[in-house]
Amino acid sequence: MEIKEKLTNVFREVFDDDTLIIHNEMTADDIDAWDSLSHVNLMIATELAFGIEFKQSEIQSFNNVGELIKRIKKKTSESE
Amino acid sequence: MKVNNIAYDCLTQYCEQGFGNKEIIHWIHKDLSESIYSYNYFESESNKIASVLHELSITTGDIISIFLPRSPILVSSFFGIIKLQAMSCILFSTLGEDALLDRLGNSQTKVLITKNSLLRKILAIKDDLPELKKILVTDIDEHQSDFILSLPELMESESSDFDYPHHLDSETPAFLQYTSGSTGKPKGALHVHGAIQDIIQSFKEILGVQSDDLYWCTADPAWITGLSYGVIAPLTTISQSIQFSGTYNAENWMNILKDKKVTIWYTAPTALRMLMQEDEGIFDDIRSNHLKRIYSVGEPLNPEIYHWGKEIFSTEVYDNWFQSETGSIMIANRPGMEVKPGSMGKPRSGIQPFILDDEMQICPVGKQGHLTLKKGWASMFRTYFHKEDAYANKFRGEYYITGDLAYKDEDGYYWYVSRSDDVINTAGHLVGPFEVESALLEIEEIADAAVIGVDDPLLHKKIVAFIVLPDDVTWDKKLELKCRVYISNKVSTVATPSDFVVTDKIPKNQSGKILRRVLRAVYEGEDPGDVSTME
Repeated sequence: MEIKEKLTNVFREVFDDDTLIIHNEMTADDIDAWDSLSHVNLMIATELAFGIEFKQSEIQSFNNVGELIKRIKKKTSESE
Repeated sequence: MKVNNIAYDCLTQYCEQGFGNKEIIHWIHKDLSESIYSYNYFESESNKIASVLHELSITTGDIISIFLPRSPILVSSFFGIIKLQAMSCILFSTLGEDALLDRLGNSQTKVLITKNSLLRKILAIKDDLPELKKILVTDIDEHQSDFILSLPELMESESSDFDYPHHLDSETPAFLQYTSGSTGKPKGALHVHGAIQDIIQSFKEILGVQSDDLYWCTADPAWITGLSYGVIAPLTTISQSIQFSGTYNAENWMNILKDKKVTIWYTAPTALRMLMQEDEGIFDDIRSNHLKRIYSVGEPLNPEIYHWGKEIFSTEVYDNWFQSETGSIMIANRPGMEVKPGSMGKPRSGIQPFILDDEMQICPVGKQGHLTLKKGWASMFRTYFHKEDAYANKFRGEYYITGDLAYKDEDGYYWYVSRSDDVINTAGHLVGPFEVESALLEIEEIADAAVIGVDDPLLHKKIVAFIVLPDDVTWDKKLELKCRVYISNKVSTVATPSDFVVTDKIPKNQSGKILRRVLRAVYEGEDPGDVSTME
């Protein structure tokens, strides 16, 4: 499964919205329920889905979904 | 006694006096672009909404709930509702389905105003809301059905004039403000149009905003601070104010303070604590800015944050205290008064607080007791909607029992100590343990649960959940995520526990009441003390 497709499922689970479609420019401003607290849920869910771990400093460093996808790609390729 | 309709004091009177075109709200969007709105804009938009609601047979005393993030249409909706003498109930747009059901059900909301992306939460619970007749959606162009209507389409055919009584009985209900209790479901504190007197007076006396100020209250209008001092109060003074659609973001906030030249800033201790964690570089240009004063409310402003804020922003930081039930500021630090860091300050004019012991006798100076207020101020809540018994329980004779413990010092300053009940004040939001526990127990892997508040350097109190698992269930990160996401979506993100502790048994007394002090002691590694009443 493509990273974007898998991450879409993560977003849908975390924000309880089966209609969510993510795109690279998407930010917390685009999803009503995406605040600093649900962001923690999103990070945990992403770690679990991709079998990766974010450092504390990484968790607040993503400016948009595209940057998150890039980081996931990097981490998953490192672990291969 | 007759008073002005709140909408008249905030909008109509200024349009009548020739200030209609005055730029009154600078609306900063999430991308930091800005739109400027006048009295005429909100007068005309709220008139159209009042007409729409009138056409839908909404009348005096009906409840219209607003489930929207902060936006101009939220402000227009609030004023449209109260022009019609119906009651407004603004709900946090982050609320989950269970929390919504509790509030919409208790208020017997007849019409709900929301946006398309939030609609699914309502549709998930609509079958349990028999009183809900219509949903008005602010960002769809066409009606979806007889039940889901496009607000823009309805407004299009309405006139921008709406005739409503400008003067009414001061006891006419105006809005509901939901707040959590230590037991049971959230309660809707009912406020009347007469509350405007206290809101205006306190705004002048404590915040002292003048016509040449640019004022910014960061609170969401779903919070009493955001409604009383973010929306209502500034509109009564012809001073310009800022509304920001975004949530907390240190860089954006500092840019707004600097670029817009904010002079008076009203925010929350948690926001200041979060700013304190930021790289000092973002405050580089702040010291020379236009800020005259900072105010904070929601939780105690600890001295460390007070001193940090005073130094970074080169201005005084005034903490104050009030509640959803009090409607307006009751106790405050303010200009012209020495600030004692960490103190709530002194009561404002006409407010009579007393520190009482368990027998309702006045405590001596310096002794901790129940913070109470002698009833009778204009913005006092008039009831908990459809929960008269809970309302009655908040009073002992002439005194309103706030649920906070405090003491008064020899100079007449009040000092907050803690809650006297189990309500958790996390980042300025009151969370009832019952709501979180009920949601946790809906998760099939959870056999029992109890929730407590624990001191936290950032949030004031963090939520900690103790859970009991059946023998065949193992706690892991996946189950933790399930619990976190469930609470976030069913109750609210602010109610999500920061920490989970798996335990064999929840300590309860013989009547089944959770012994939270025992859990607190266990969590903090302290002696739980007397456990003789434990089951």
